[in-house]
Parts: sequence; structure tokens; C-alpha cells
Amino acid sequence: MQHAFEKIEPVLIVEVLTAIIIIWRIISAQRGKELFIRRIPGLNAIDEAIGRATEMGRPVLMVPGIGGFSIIALQALSIFSYIARSTARFGNRILMPVADATVYTVAEEVIRDAYQSEGHPERFDPDSIRFLSDRQFAFASGVAGLIQREQIASSFMFGEFFAESLIFAETGNMVGAIQVAGTVQTTQIPFFIAACDYTIIGDEYYAASAYISRNPTMLGSLVGQDFGKLLIVSLCVIGSVAATLVALNVPTLSSASKWLIDLFTIR
Amino acid sequence: MLEPIVRFFSAQPPAVLPYYVAGAVVFSVLLIFVLINLPSRMRKPLIALVTFLAGLFYAAEFFLPIDKTTQKNVLTDYLVPASKLGSLLGGMTLTLGILSLLRVHGRNIARLRAGWYNSLALLVAMVAMVVFGLMDSYSANATAKKVFNVLFEGMLINMDATMFSLIAFYIVSASYRAFRIRSIEATILMITAFLVMLGQVPVGNALTAWLPTEGWLASLRVENIKQWILSQVNAAALRAIAFGLGVGGLAISLRIWLSLERGAYFEKEI
Repeated sequence: MQHAFEKIEPVLIVEVLTAIIIIWRIISAQRGKELFIRRIPGLNAIDEAIGRATEMGRPVLMVPGIGGFSIIALQALSIFSYIARSTARFGNRILMPVADATVYTVAEEVIRDAYQSEGHPERFDPDSIRFLSDRQFAFASGVAGLIQREQIASSFMFGEFFAESLIFAETGNMVGAIQVAGTVQTTQIPFFIAACDYTIIGDEYYAASAYISRNPTMLGSLVGQDFGKLLIVSLCVIGSVAATLVALNVPTLSSASKWLIDLFTIR
Repeated sequence: MLEPIVRFFSAQPPAVLPYYVAGAVVFSVLLIFVLINLPSRMRKPLIALVTFLAGLFYAAEFFLPIDKTTQKNVLTDYLVPASKLGSLLGGMTLTLGILSLLRVHGRNIARLRAGWYNSLALLVAMVAMVVFGLMDSYSANATAKKVFNVLFEGMLINMDATMFSLIAFYIVSASYRAFRIRSIEATILMITAFLVMLGQVPVGNALTAWLPTEGWLASLRVENIKQWILSQVNAAALRAIAFGLGVGGLAISLRIWLSLERGAYFEKEI
């Protein structure tokens, strides 16, 4: 078990600083500060994909990955909540296969809430959210079968994906579905880029709910994240300069640089 | 001070285990009953409080100073009981997952919908796995062990392997589309991928084996180009993504911990 004061004091410093910045930005956004977010094409494509499914009269597929109940799954459910609100408005059929029993129970509530908030609770079909299997490839074959049988029009894959990502994306491609995917697994991003129409990369995944909901708390948090990244980039630049000064043995600066390097070294 | 709690969540002897199980079931039913009947205005602050305390426990355990000899602080011993609570919740929700399977596929069979026999096969397989799995663990019946072995080693593992092997074919079709030269970016991607693939196989390395292994010309050997792409270009990009993900994860964790995330699930800001 790792502890902050055992080996990784720098983590404590950076984490606490970033947390303070994020909370500060959330509070200022809640007080009405106008915030700007750049355009994210993958997220703009969500409405286009739902519209296509409506025109074709075919279902919309949402896959929250095979990970357990975590921050990543919660973020996926937040995006799916937005998609479900749109499908509730347009009367699309949705399919949401789930691999984790805890995610399944929360997903059912989130999607039901989305239909109720749109004023169409009668359109919610409890069978549209299905627990298939918690085994990776049993789940993969189940989802691939659903895609083929139901001839889905749009597929949204957000969450934790592993080797099964390409099975979903290629099967969706075979039935001609418009596909939007996003994951935090850097090893799976290339597969999604190769097989999907739009891919959300890196921290865009965590920006998604703020982007689509324009909720002040989330917008503030997103801007706070950017400040956090700025802090990390600044530390990278300062660290590189300090390491260079130590290597060059500049008399007046090398001791200060050494102290700085020591402070941020993970032992 | 909290020693009795740790003892309570430790492995119990078989003689008292049924009482613990019965107690847990009664406690869970009572807890669910109370939660369901709580007014909405009280339920949300209660959830916020439990979330905050649970998050605070893990944060405090990570940040509190430790005893250098034991590598523990005052909260470390309670990590295992806390994780067991998580496992208990997972076990309860698994029942709901199985009920979902039974509901969807039971209805397919009852109404003889198209492909109803697939639903029947799934339910029979599920029941067989559970029955023979339990017999394999808790019974000395040799036939049951053999049947479980056929089901698990002979069928499930092979079917898993079959699905996994499909990925090889999907990689070919996906990479064909991705590497088609349509733009400057696709061309760079194709050339880079080609160099990395060449560097991974002996025949690729053999192409530049005639170059010296020392000096600046050694940098042009395929295996060195591959290594440079992976360790300099690729690693830098991956680290940038990892920084973004780390900070993003921290932000959403803070929002959930402090119950600021409500906007996503309950529509209203607090």
C-alpha cells in the first residue's frame, strides 16, 4: 500500500495544488463566470448519430466497457444519460449491454431518470439495459451478436475497454453504424481511431459531460483541469531547465536546481 | 480502538458462519427498507454524507503520516474491511444482473420469440456452470469434477480463445482502412507503423544489418529507428495523454466526493 509520506511527497504537493485550483474554478463558475470550451468534433457527432438512428428507425447502442464501477464508468453513464434524453425525445430504441453488475444497477436508474426528466417514462424499456456477462469475451460475443441481430444505426462506446474494443468497433462498422468512442485506455485508442467515425482522446473523455451539459459546476471543473495541466507542464519545463543547469554545472544556479530536482523526485 | 471491527470482518470459523450470513442478510434488508422509505430530501444529504466519509477514509489513509517500521498509519488496518464492504455490495448487485438475464431470456423462451433456443441454451449453460462449479468446490463427487472440467477447460476457455483470435482478423480490416493514404496525416501514420513493424521482426532488422552498430550511422538501423519512435515520439504523446487523464480523473473524483457531480445524474445543482 502506497502512502503520500512514504515515497511520493511530490504527488501530495501537486495533487493538493491541483485540487485547490479545480475547486476554485468550480466556485467561480457557479458564481456565474462565463467560460469557453473549444469545439470537440466527437461530441458534436453524438446528435448527428442519434438523428441518423431516428431516420433509419434502428436502435442506438451504448456500451459502458467492461470495467467495474468506477469514476470512468460514472463518466460514461453521464454521457449515456445525455444520449438517453435525446433518444427519449425522438422515440429511438436503445440497447445498453453491461458487463458489471454494479454498473448495471446504476445504469438502469440513470437511464430511467433520463426518460423521466424528458417527460416520457412510458418509453423506457427495462429490457434495453441488459447484464450479459462479466467475462470479457463472453461479453464481447454477446455485444457482437446484438449488433448483428439488431442492425444498430449508431454505436456509442465510452468507458474502460480492453482487447474486446476492436470486436465491438469492427462489428459496428460491418453493419454500417456511425460510431463514436472514447476511452481512458491508451492502448485501445488506436483501435477506436482505426475503426470508429469519431474518437474522443485522453482528457476529452472527462470533458464530455461538461461539453454536452454546459453545467456550470462541470465547466468550472474542466477549466480547473486545464489549469492543473498547465501546472504539470510548467513543472516539466522547470524540471528540464533545472536538470540542464545541474548537468552544465552552472555555479550559482546548480545548488538551487538540485534542491528543486530533489523536491520533485519520486524515490 | 477499532480492533473489534477488524475482528468482525475477518474470516470466521464454520460453526458461526451461518449466523454471520443470516445477520448480514437481515441487516441488508433493514438498511434497504430504511433507505427506500426515507424522504427524498433526506436521502440525498445522506448519500452525500456517506460518499464524503468513504472518500475521506481513503484520502486520509493515503495522506496521513506512516510509522516507518510497520509502513502503516492508524487507518491502514481498516482498508481490508472497507474493501470487503465493496465486495458485499458487488455480490448483491450480481443478483440483480442475473435477474436481468433471467427476465430477458425467460421472456424470449416463454413467448417463443425468434432464436428462443439460444436463450434456452444460455440459461441451461448458466445453471450448469453454477451447479457443477459449486459441486467442484464443495463436493467430493468425481463425476461432477469431470463435468465441470469439460465445461470450463473444454468449452469456456476455448470459446474465449476463439473470440480473442477474431481480433487478429479485425486488426487487418481496421488497419487497412486506417492506413489507406488519403491525407498527409494518414501517410505519416502509415510510414511510422511500417517502420515500427519492420523493427519488430528479424527480416526488418536484417535489411539494415550492414550498417555499423556504433557511431551516427547506427541511428539509421531499423531497430534503432523503431526504438526512437517508441521511446521518444510515442512515449511523449502517451505521457501527455496520461497527464490529462490523471488531472481529469482527479477533477471528477473531487466532484463526486464533494457531491458536486449531482448535476449529471439528478439534473439539479446543489
